[in-house]
Amino acid sequence: MVQTISLQHVLQEAVATPYCDLVTRATGAAVRGRIEAALARADWTITLLDFSGVDCLDLSCADEIVAKLLLAAASRDRVVVLAGVREEQRDALEHVLVHHRLAVAARFRGTDLADVLGWTSDDAREAFAALHVHGAADASALATRLTWPLERTEVALEDLERNRIARATGGVFHPVTLL
Amino acid sequence: MTRVVEVPAHFDDRSFDQFAGWFGAWPPEERVLVDARGCQWGSPYGLVGLLTAGQALAEAGRERALLTVPASDDVKRYWARTGFFAHAAELFELHGKVPRAAATGPSDVLLDVTPIRASGDIHDIVGKIQEGAARILTGELGIEAKATMGFAMALSEACQNIVEHAGTSGWVAVQAYTFRRRLGRRVVVIAVSDAGVGFRRSLESSQAKRFGDRWADATALEAALIQNVSRFRDPGRGQGLAGIKRYLSRWQGKISIRSGTARLAIVPPWDEDVPLVDHLPFFPGAQVQVVIPAQHAES
Repeated sequence: MVQTISLQHVLQEAVATPYCDLVTRATGAAVRGRIEAALARADWTITLLDFSGVDCLDLSCADEIVAKLLLAAASRDRVVVLAGVREEQRDALEHVLVHHRLAVAARFRGTDLADVLGWTSDDAREAFAALHVHGAADASALATRLTWPLERTEVALEDLERNRIARATGGVFHPVTLL
Repeated sequence: MTRVVEVPAHFDDRSFDQFAGWFGAWPPEERVLVDARGCQWGSPYGLVGLLTAGQALAEAGRERALLTVPASDDVKRYWARTGFFAHAAELFELHGKVPRAAATGPSDVLLDVTPIRASGDIHDIVGKIQEGAARILTGELGIEAKATMGFAMALSEACQNIVEHAGTSGWVAVQAYTFRRRLGRRVVVIAVSDAGVGFRRSLESSQAKRFGDRWADATALEAALIQNVSRFRDPGRGQGLAGIKRYLSRWQGKISIRSGTARLAIVPPWDEDVPLVDHLPFFPGAQVQVVIPAQHAES
């Protein structure tokens, strides 16, 4: 099950003003608190943080919201993904995720472009893109698609699985849903 | 007795140390008269620093300081337009005629001198500045449009140092102007200043032991700006200044931080500043300046 959370909506609830910028650590902590409360009330497997309507994102908010939710999700075997991300927000997200050695799948605003942000290899990003565009595959089929040696493909898939960006079922790797 | 503090004719980050030196041992026992009559130009750094002096004297329980306004009509008009006098009137006893701030359209003042007291102030600033920043960054400085958000991020993080660490309020101003002396190009300057505890005291409990006898204003700045350490145990802390540095490295920008008796800067190739200056005259709190230059020389 996927639970979609509109960050713009939560932001405006949290600060009780029509702000569209996710800035300051205090705001980030307030937004995260509300998201955690919502997650505690339900048993969702995948949480999709929707950035639509959010303008500026600073490092403090990226850290308080995205990094801390990812760290919490890892300990509870839950998945967090991002959608509606603006290309201009990529830097802040990459910075905090690399700092914590975390990675997350993200879909960008106004495009079908999906990418892996954060602490991951170029191979893992490419493997994810291939799974996202062409669908689930086992290591062998993906290696053929990418014209990579099997071992290289397996390392990339292990990376994705470790970050819960792809899930293996019977040897077939499914990319995390970004609907 | 009155202690006279002269505002340098060209009042910016470089001449600020001369200004700080007039105060002597901090806080001065005598009533302070800040004499700005001879000032011919004040940078955003100078203006927020001036307000910080007034604030710090008030917070130290000293008699309300006097401020004689610049003699130059142009300088007075510019200071009024930045909103400086409106705030100065709350901190100083003003002497001299102060012009009314005229309503203006788009100008080089991207952000008036603005107090930072809480997180909400930073939201207001970031919301307010983005349109003007885009106009200056892309239109005048030749920086790609998507860098505007990085600029707002840098501004937000610089201001958050006040809310998170200073223990009191502070000031911010943002302006575009031509850096004739050092660069010969247009620049955008963010100046942030507070009258708070400064970097050394903020980091003392977590870092002093590690530095031992070397612990001082300079090493505290080094820990914060170079090593990205924070006084908080949260491993996510300390990324703000690192993020600003990363943004600036992409655009050949400069950051300098003065706190207590030291100043540390990340110096780009176009500047001749010294990275670390120690044993400066003491000044309260912290003063941060971020400079982003035009990517091409003015034609």
